[in-house]
Amino acid sequence: MYDLRIVVEEVRGFCDMPMRPGDYCELRGSRLSIPDGRYFCMWALQSVLPLLPVKQRRIAEENDWIPRTFRVTCPDPDGMVILRIEQLDARDRSPVDQPGARGDSAVERPAPTGRTLVEQPNARQWTPAEGNERGPLPRMLVNSRMCSGCRSCELACSYRHEGVFAPSLSRITVRKDEVGGADEPVVCRQCGVARCVQVCPCGALARNPRTGAVRVDAGLCMRCGDCVAACPFGAIRIHPDTALPLICDLCEGDPACVGRCATGALRYGRAGDLRHAAATGPGVAGEATAGRRRDGGAAECEAGGQVK
Amino acid sequence: MSARWGCGYAGRVLLVDLTAGRSTIEPLDHGVARRFLGGRGLNMRVLYDEVTPGVHPLSPENRLMFATGPLVGTHFPGACRVNVSARSPLTGILGDSNAGGFFGPELKYAGFDQVIIQGRAPRPVYLFITDEGAHLRPAEHLWGLDVWETQQAIRSELGDEGVQVGVAGPAAENGVLFAGVFFNLARPAARTGMGTVMASKNRKAVAVRGRGMVRVADPAAFASLVGTADAAIFAHPEYDARRRLGTTRLVRALHGLGCLASFHFRTGCFPGVDRVSGERLAATYRVKGKACFGCTIPCSRFFRIESGPFAGLASEGPEFEGLAGFSSRVGNDDLAVALRAIDMCNRYGMDVISASEAISFVMELGEAGLVSSREADGLDLRWGNANTILALLEKICRREGIGDVLAGGVRRAAELIGRGSERYAMHVKGLEVFQADPRGIKGYALGVAVASRGGDHLRSEPWFELTGDSEEATRRFGEAEAAQRLSPRGKGRLVKYYEERCALADCLQVCKNTLVNMEILPYDQAACILAAATGWEFSEEELQASCERLVNLERCYNARLGLGRADDTLPDRFTREPLPPDSGPSAGSVVELDQMLDEYYLARGWDLSTGLPKGETLSRLGLEISVNPGAAAPGGCS
Repeated sequence: MYDLRIVVEEVRGFCDMPMRPGDYCELRGSRLSIPDGRYFCMWALQSVLPLLPVKQRRIAEENDWIPRTFRVTCPDPDGMVILRIEQLDARDRSPVDQPGARGDSAVERPAPTGRTLVEQPNARQWTPAEGNERGPLPRMLVNSRMCSGCRSCELACSYRHEGVFAPSLSRITVRKDEVGGADEPVVCRQCGVARCVQVCPCGALARNPRTGAVRVDAGLCMRCGDCVAACPFGAIRIHPDTALPLICDLCEGDPACVGRCATGALRYGRAGDLRHAAATGPGVAGEATAGRRRDGGAAECEAGGQVK
Repeated sequence: MSARWGCGYAGRVLLVDLTAGRSTIEPLDHGVARRFLGGRGLNMRVLYDEVTPGVHPLSPENRLMFATGPLVGTHFPGACRVNVSARSPLTGILGDSNAGGFFGPELKYAGFDQVIIQGRAPRPVYLFITDEGAHLRPAEHLWGLDVWETQQAIRSELGDEGVQVGVAGPAAENGVLFAGVFFNLARPAARTGMGTVMASKNRKAVAVRGRGMVRVADPAAFASLVGTADAAIFAHPEYDARRRLGTTRLVRALHGLGCLASFHFRTGCFPGVDRVSGERLAATYRVKGKACFGCTIPCSRFFRIESGPFAGLASEGPEFEGLAGFSSRVGNDDLAVALRAIDMCNRYGMDVISASEAISFVMELGEAGLVSSREADGLDLRWGNANTILALLEKICRREGIGDVLAGGVRRAAELIGRGSERYAMHVKGLEVFQADPRGIKGYALGVAVASRGGDHLRSEPWFELTGDSEEATRRFGEAEAAQRLSPRGKGRLVKYYEERCALADCLQVCKNTLVNMEILPYDQAACILAAATGWEFSEEELQASCERLVNLERCYNARLGLGRADDTLPDRFTREPLPPDSGPSAGSVVELDQMLDEYYLARGWDLSTGLPKGETLSRLGLEISVNPGAAAPGGCS
């Protein structure tokens, strides 16, 4: 039987724990251990648990998919935490060398434009989930169940950034399914390890250290559109005139869209921040915050444990 | 962006000639915009000038117009609407209908304030409007599809879910005279048969995609004025009820007042109200709140039925008119059946008010023994029969059997049926009346009687009479009883005031829920926000005069078709039969129409005997036209 190591290979979305690339736990027999002083997300862990007993075993069958399966994604679609299961060599506890199992060197993958991009190792990217001494930085929290689909956020965004009303210039868009009645605001999630930053071939994208938002350096951007294709949430669009990417900049910490959201579908804060949830909950407190979030949306989605 | 974008207004009008397959773009005339503001005002001016009495509603020469307003596309709450106008095939007079949703702003972003369509395409087409102009695309493959299928088909063939589409459904194709133009699946410009006009031009749909923008002249002032409106909306005592129930709260509320259209206006209370009310809908099938473009009041709702014979039925809505129309009006207390009936109207593209009137009309004729079940294709005409309601909608849409008789509206149906059925036809000027009993709300009764598009409440919406606020009534209308719904006094001035507010809402294309019913944006603020948007100076008086001008122009349009005081009437039931004793607080009431008409004409500066604008009134408003009933006036109105 192998001993196993479960390693956080990459955080493509925003993990609130936060989990960071390189975090791991180990399994010897049935004993699970986490390095001293560290932690491991239970939700992420539960997603790999069913695989662990079989990954502990040697399988000689060529057509079995288990030996070729190493990665599992955390079920939180906003988090997109990718876990790698490593089988350990009993002598030095180094990972057994198996093709495709390792992700520690530069990963080559074809870019949508046909060029091959060489990405930087994930661990080097600063992530807003790490935040500062007060914890993770606030970010856009979207509860699409509360969204009325009015698209006021699009107007607020284009008005703040461009001084005109133009949904085509907005950094946030509401994806609508009229038949099914669904409305989903699509906006930058402030990914932990942002793929847009990773794939930018000219280093035009960088984090604003104060807000964690991705900033576009118009002077460096070569308008290739790779960031648009790389965004796992489809949250980046291209300015129809300047061809620069339109990426949410969190309005320097005071998002205009949140200010005009009448339902509470958009919030700017930290998931699980109960003080904030209470402040936007139903009743008197709700009316105190900007006077408009009258739905108990925040409280409702916090109770569900997951903010989408 | 290029410089062609103005402030507030997009500054362009799109003219489409379907016969020639040609389109041109013209600049919006600033003088016209100032005098008629936008939306309904722009459309009515063209209607007056170009659709003269000789133009048959279903002829190629009739103009079908779509117009937005100067605030559409901005984030002024509820400024998202569009007016669809033409001469009405249902009533033969002025036709006009207003819809919310997402079409209006998209048209603005494409750079158009108004689209005027004439002619008839040789083959079925749909019109696709982009920033560059109009493209006619073949629609043979769409002919026969319902509203929902058509919208999906157009979005998928254009490969863009952001395209906004206005559709004429199968009812319009089949020549049902109360077919609407349907936007966003369930947001129709439903009244007066605008969909029928569209289909008569061999045009299945109008689609629009705009990539442009709306600028405002003074962004800081504009933002601050929007902030004022926002604050007033959020602080409004009705905000929460509107957000939760929208207009459906009126089912229960009007039942409580004893003036909910029940059993085809035989009474004002509906015993099954609690099974079909907005509150019931909210407690059972409601999924979430929905809103039109840029609106801070998510007063619409999405519902889904999970079980029973209509399991899987899901849609946005309904509004009060549909809900009451297919419940109390037809005597049905099964909410799911009502929702299905509304859904059928939305898919077939029919007006729920006219359709529910047609059905309740036949049911009452059945009860009165004027129409037998055999004559009604074997249908059981008893009140509330679910099978009959749904089957009649199907038959009307296809114009088969009794449905063909009803497809022209109840005025025509009564002519075809004869036997004294006219007195059961609840219409004014050929347009079926709404779901509140005018006998319990006298201001509304007057508004419905004088409305320029026929039996319609949205030309005036004098909700103030429900407040009972005598002090305010005296201050605003010089008559304390203007605030008493059962009194005929003060209603002339009340209706005049609210007609102009409704005109303002239809010109700016702001929702009447906010601008009229919630009294957001009084004239002084409206003048300021128009100035901030357009960069032109507007005064409160000028704005009010523009609204008054529009009401007068519409009266002149109908006068030219021969209408006058004799047509400002109500079905006899409302003026002669008191509401029965089971109508709660409205029992015993009838509409004292003549008295109210006198006061109204006086307030308007119209002749008491003809009901037509006096020359001095028209010149005061700068309308250089003379009205002789029945005689076509030469020349234009501006």
